[in-house]
Amino acid sequence: MVDKINNLKFKTKNVSVFYGSKQAINKISLDIEEKQITALIGPSGCGKSTFLRCLNRMNDVISNCSVNGKILLDGNNIYSDEIDPVLLRAKVGMVFQKPNPFPKSIFENIAYGPRIHGIGNNRAELTDLVHHSLEQAGLIDEVKDRLDDIATGLSGGQQQRICIARAIAVNPDVILMDEPCSALDPIATAKIEELMSSLSKSYTIIIVTHSMQQAGRVSQKTAFFHMGDLIEYGETPKIFTQPDQQKTQDYITGRFG
Amino acid sequence: MIDKNIDQLKRLKLRKNAEMRLKVYGILSISLALIMLSTLMISIGLSGYSALQQAYVKLEINVDSKKVLDEKGGFSNQKALLVNWDGIVSNSFITNFPEITKRSEKRSLRALMSSNAGYELRQYFQKNPDDLDENITIWLSASDDFDQYMKGRFNTSVDEKDRRLSNQQLKWIDFLAMEKISKLKFNTSFFVNADSREPESAGILGAVVGSTLTLTITILFALPLAVMASVYLEYFAKPGRLTDFIEVNINNLAAIPSIVFGLLGLSVFLGFFGLPRSAPLVGGLCLGLMTIPTIIIASRASIRAVPPSIKDAALALGASRMQAALHHVLPLAAPGILTGTIIGMAQALGETAPLLMIGMVAFIIETPDSFTSAATAMPVQIFMWSDSAERAFYERSSLAILFLVGFLIIMNSLAVFLRRKFEKKW
Repeated sequence: MVDKINNLKFKTKNVSVFYGSKQAINKISLDIEEKQITALIGPSGCGKSTFLRCLNRMNDVISNCSVNGKILLDGNNIYSDEIDPVLLRAKVGMVFQKPNPFPKSIFENIAYGPRIHGIGNNRAELTDLVHHSLEQAGLIDEVKDRLDDIATGLSGGQQQRICIARAIAVNPDVILMDEPCSALDPIATAKIEELMSSLSKSYTIIIVTHSMQQAGRVSQKTAFFHMGDLIEYGETPKIFTQPDQQKTQDYITGRFG
Repeated sequence: MIDKNIDQLKRLKLRKNAEMRLKVYGILSISLALIMLSTLMISIGLSGYSALQQAYVKLEINVDSKKVLDEKGGFSNQKALLVNWDGIVSNSFITNFPEITKRSEKRSLRALMSSNAGYELRQYFQKNPDDLDENITIWLSASDDFDQYMKGRFNTSVDEKDRRLSNQQLKWIDFLAMEKISKLKFNTSFFVNADSREPESAGILGAVVGSTLTLTITILFALPLAVMASVYLEYFAKPGRLTDFIEVNINNLAAIPSIVFGLLGLSVFLGFFGLPRSAPLVGGLCLGLMTIPTIIIASRASIRAVPPSIKDAALALGASRMQAALHHVLPLAAPGILTGTIIGMAQALGETAPLLMIGMVAFIIETPDSFTSAATAMPVQIFMWSDSAERAFYERSSLAILFLVGFLIIMNSLAVFLRRKFEKKW
C-alpha cells in the first residue's frame, strides 16, 4: 500500500510535556510522513492529545505547561525562539473535538483566517478562496446559497466541515485533528472520513481518535500511546493485525482502555 | 406499577411539604418586597405630583421701551439693570386691590408675589422686545407659600402668628383664585431652570445636565480602562501571586464606601492636579474610579463565559492572542460588559457621597455648559432640597426623586434591551 517514498514532515525527538510537576508524555520520538494520515490511538489520558497540541504549540496557551525535547517541522525546531507560534499555526492548522465555528456567517468563518494573514486582499479573491475551501471540504453544495447564514445554525457534521474548511483556507501544510468525529453521528463521521482521505492528497493529517475502526479505516500509520509513553508505531495494517507489543494487542482487542 | 410502602409514602409527603413551604416563603418575600417598593413609589408620587403645577398670577403690564432699549432698538442689559422690575410687578399686582392703602398691608400683599417675578418679567421682555410699550397680560410666579396654599398643602390650623401667611393674606389669595387672577398652571420652570433659593423658580434641569455631563466623563473614563484591565487579567496576566493580589484588591475596591473615592478625588484631582472644584470633570473621574471595579468584575465574568473553544479556534488559525480577544471574545462578551457598565452607571447616577467631597454640593443657579463649569448632580440636588426649610421644596424633591428613578429605569431597560439585541445564540 505504501509504495511511494515519503518525505518526513515532522520529526520529534524525546518530547516530554509537563503540566506543573505532572508529566503528561514521556520522551516521545515519532516521525510523521508527508501527505499521509497518521492516527494516534490510546486510552483516555494517555497523552495523545497533549502530543498533538505540541505540534502547533497550542500548549503554549496553558499556563503551567512546559515542553522538553525537539520537534522539527521540515527540519526547523518549532520551539526555537525564531519561530513565532502565530505563523506556525498558520502552517499547522487544527480541528477540535467539538465543532467550534465562530458565531458568525459561514463566509466570515472561512474568510477570517485568510484575512488576518493577508491572503486574499479583495472581496473577489476572498470569495474565490471561500468557495474553494468549501469545495475542498465537500460542503459547497450544501451551503453555497446561504453563505451569510450563521454557521452555528448548521448541523454538527456540517459545522465540523466548516471548521475543516476554515483550517484549509489559510493553506496549511499539516492539519491536526483532535477526535474530530467524537461528537458526530455515524453518517457525519463517514463524510468526514471520506473528506480526510481526499485531503490527504494535499495535506499531512494527524488525527487523534478513540475509535480504532476509524484509525484502521483512514490512516496509513498508527501510533499507540499508553500512560504517556509511545508503545508502538508502524503501518496501520500491521498495528491492527500483528502488533509487536502485548499492550497494543490488549488494547486493540479491547482487553483494556 | 411501583409498589410504595408506608415509609416511602411518608418521606414523599415530607418532601412535598418542604417544597411547598419553600415556595410559600419565596412568594411571601417577593410580595413583601413589592409592597414596600410600591409603598415607597406611591408615597413619593403623592407628595411629588403637585410640583408639576405651580401658582401663577395674571398681571397687566406696560413697560416703556425707552427704559430698556438702546439707541439701535436692541435690548440693553445695562439699562435693564436700572429698571425696578420688582416695582413694576408689585404696582400692577396691587391694582387688584384698590381698597388697600396702608403701607404695612401693601407690604404683606407684595409678599404674595414671588421675589423672582420681577426677574421673570425682565426675561420675558428680553425675549420679546416687541411687546414693550404694549399693554400685555402676563402670568408670573406667585410666592411659594401662595402656591402651597392653593395646592391645599398649607397648614391653616396653626396659630396665625406662627404661620408664614396671615389670615388677611389667605383671604386675598382666596379672592385672587376666585377671580381667576391666579391659577395653578403647568410648572415649566421646574424643567427649564437650575437651582434657586425660591422654590417657585427652582428647577431640575441644572442637575440633569450636571448628571449627564458627569456620567459622560464616567463612562469615557471607566469603560475603556475596565475593559482593557479585564482583557489583560483574563488573557495575558500570568497566574501567580501578583495576579491574585490584583484580583483580590479589585474585588475589595468594589466594596469600598463611595465617600472614600470622594476623598481620593479631593486630594488627587483637586489637590494634586488642581482641577476645578464642583466640576463634572472631577465628579465623573471620581465616579469612574468607583465604577471601574464593578465593570471589571462584570467584564471578566462575561469574558470567561465565552467558550474557550472560540479562543482556541482563533488561535489555531494563527490569530495572535490579542486578535483572538478583540475579534472573537470581546464581541461575544459585549452584552455582558454592556450590562455591567450600565448597572455601574446607574449606581454612579445615584451616588451622592463622593460628589459632596469635591464640591458638587454647591448652590448653582446656572445650568452647566461645559465639563469644567460648576455643576451639581441629581441626587445632590435632591439632598439639598430635602434639607431646605420651605415646604414647597419638599414636593420638588419628591418630584426630583421620581425623575431620578425614571432615569434609572430608562438606563436599566436600556441594559436589558442591549443585552437582548446583541446576545448571540449558539
